[in-house]
Amino acid sequence: MKITGYRLEKYIYKIDRGVADANNPSGEELSMGSLLFLETDEGITGIAPASSEKVQDLFQVIEGQDPRSVVWLWKKMDDFVFKGGNQGEAAAAIAAIDVALWDLKSKINQEPLWQTLGARHGRTKAYASDIGYCMKDEDIYNFYSKMADKGVDAGKLKIGLSMDDDLRRIGIMKEALSKVRERPFLMLDVNEYWSPKNSIKLMNEIEKHYEIFWIEEPARRWDYRGLRKVSKSVKAAVATGENLNGITDVTSLITNYSVDIINIGVRQSGITGARQCANIAHAYKLPVTMMNCQANYMAHLAAAIPNHVMMEVFGTPDREHVFKSWDNEIQDGFIVMGDSYGLGLEIDYDALKNLQDTDYGRAPNSPWPRREGAGLEVKPLDEKEVDWI
Amino acid sequence: MKITGLRITTYEHLMSRRMGDANSPSGRDMASTCIVEITTDEDLEGVAIGGGGAIPQIKNMFDSLILGEDPRHVKGLWQRMIDRAFKSGNSGIITDAISVIDIALWDLKAKINQEPLWKTLGGGNIPVNSYASGMDMPQSNESVENWYKNMATKWGFKAGKLKVGLDQSADLERIGLMKSGLLHSTKNPILYIDANEYWSSKQAIRKVQEMEERFQIGWIEEPCRRGDYLGLKRVSDSIISPVCAGENLDSLDDFLSYFDHESVDVIQVSSGMSGITGAFQIADCAYGLELPVTLGGSVGNFHAQLAVCMPNFLTMEVQSVESADNVISTDVKIQNGQAVLGNQPGNGISINHDELKKISKSNPSTHRSLPSPFGRRPGAGLWEYLPTDDEKKAATRPLGTEIYVPPYGDV
Repeated sequence: MKITGYRLEKYIYKIDRGVADANNPSGEELSMGSLLFLETDEGITGIAPASSEKVQDLFQVIEGQDPRSVVWLWKKMDDFVFKGGNQGEAAAAIAAIDVALWDLKSKINQEPLWQTLGARHGRTKAYASDIGYCMKDEDIYNFYSKMADKGVDAGKLKIGLSMDDDLRRIGIMKEALSKVRERPFLMLDVNEYWSPKNSIKLMNEIEKHYEIFWIEEPARRWDYRGLRKVSKSVKAAVATGENLNGITDVTSLITNYSVDIINIGVRQSGITGARQCANIAHAYKLPVTMMNCQANYMAHLAAAIPNHVMMEVFGTPDREHVFKSWDNEIQDGFIVMGDSYGLGLEIDYDALKNLQDTDYGRAPNSPWPRREGAGLEVKPLDEKEVDWI
Repeated sequence: MKITGLRITTYEHLMSRRMGDANSPSGRDMASTCIVEITTDEDLEGVAIGGGGAIPQIKNMFDSLILGEDPRHVKGLWQRMIDRAFKSGNSGIITDAISVIDIALWDLKAKINQEPLWKTLGGGNIPVNSYASGMDMPQSNESVENWYKNMATKWGFKAGKLKVGLDQSADLERIGLMKSGLLHSTKNPILYIDANEYWSSKQAIRKVQEMEERFQIGWIEEPCRRGDYLGLKRVSDSIISPVCAGENLDSLDDFLSYFDHESVDVIQVSSGMSGITGAFQIADCAYGLELPVTLGGSVGNFHAQLAVCMPNFLTMEVQSVESADNVISTDVKIQNGQAVLGNQPGNGISINHDELKKISKSNPSTHRSLPSPFGRRPGAGLWEYLPTDDEKKAATRPLGTEIYVPPYGDV
């Protein structure tokens, strides 16, 4: 089997709720979506719900090759971008191609990707994540309550700009999840807004009230000393890694004892790259946690990782407008995948066309810039930013 | 697809040449082989070679965890075995059992896909860099030169690995002989040496520094004890050549001390370290730390199947190009000093069951056929105990004659 062509599709979609964090508390409902299709000489198409214009430069590396050689092709692409580095747009393109190749590989085998990757079950533990700093208190409750109804006993809240409000909202999340477990797993995410000392000060305050499972990105992504300092000074595990490019970046955090739980996802150079990160974390006895993604497709990899703790779930359907179906659902707190081939994603081409034809009157504000005060002193929340102060 | 049965067959055979290292200068001439075959409800069988010392453990693991399962779930099944071994630990014969089952499951997974294992693992069909490994401590100087000459002229090898450690003067001379043998295929042969943990770290530093005055050494393998991560680091800090080690470790867990202390420059990986699943974990971790990996010797050189999907793969050990018996054959061929992969579904190992029936033995594990038949040699880690006259004489005996057992611990 040979790779013969590719197709990129971009679209803008409106999420059912605003997406927000400490850098953009007011949130954004519009988001950029993209799809990569890899075509073969035998009529099977590989799909990745991710892409980059840079695919056009990289396609020559995989053209005419057998998609089943995905790990070798990953290496070829990684070598191809050597000088500029496997980062930025190049990394996005490699990641997308890698995902589409794995989709192809398992479709050729006529099995779900979790099986191609060697997992025994197509299931992995889930945690709910609002990614909704803009959400009102009752919406926070309703979201976690809805997830708790599916057996989810862990949640992650966006925080960072107002201690009193954060404490109240952590309590709301806890209350909603408490119907599943007396002591639900509570995670917090500040998206690199705090300085290390701010993190230590504010987390120590929070930890007087709650047991926190992890605090995510309590310092800048590459600040290995700051992250280490936070880890030594708070009871919660320090989780980070979502903004790193792959194993080459992750390694220095691990060898400097800067991180307790590694965030992995498609951004770590695709499925191949994310698996590498999981393996080095495994050597250092560190758990990994899979990032959220559209239709939870990365759960396939999570199911095949021995040190995977739980995967972030945004909730479906919320961002799945271009998919006719995705073969997974939350059951008893786990993402449970079916036996559909590959990633299990089916594209709704009419919906894709409709989205591409839709005029929203503006471009999405995503990704958004860093908020004022980040890494310095917390700039207080403004009533114009959120309506729940 | 479901796993339905397990078949384990053992036999002993004469080797093509006498092999030994610093721990057994008189060498051995017999090998014992254990063939593990996992059967399924769909007429496919998974094959792995090894685990002869762990047959009860293989049977136990298989009966309780593998029977009735789908072989395509190999990583999940690996995790089941690792978790079962938890309390007493994934080490020694338990690791041997896990490894051999894991290899057979990967073989099945590839056969189900009707593709060679390298493709199942995601590799490309590219030639695999290899080196000739003589295991030649018992061989005479003349044989050493001739063997590497033959490997260079007939098979194109441009790199070799000599066993060293007991007699520095002889080692210096023999490194030169390996080099002159390999000069038949290249102007710049790569010269690896292997002390099989015979030295202490300071001995290693002295010996290797002297060798480095005369030769450029590709790596020094196991210059001191496997567990001595501080000693290995000290050697690496004090010599020019890379330190290569790891072959006697059992799993990723064991490698953490090497990784975290920067003890080793080249990481040895093999399917005996908790199987193919375990080997990839170790290789990925080494990749993150910018360390190259080398794959150890394997039956039918099937490790070439793994090499092509490890981004930091350096070179693979080849102890024999041709099978020593009529039972096992491989579709991995050697050309121009490289291993060339074939397209046979699975790991490329085929078993001739008619031949196997003729020579199978229920309990062949005499010490004569063990990889290191006499254990660790006196003087190891302390001082260099020169080969005795009896050992030297035994090393020259024709294959298949009476075996010499050195006096244990009697220096």
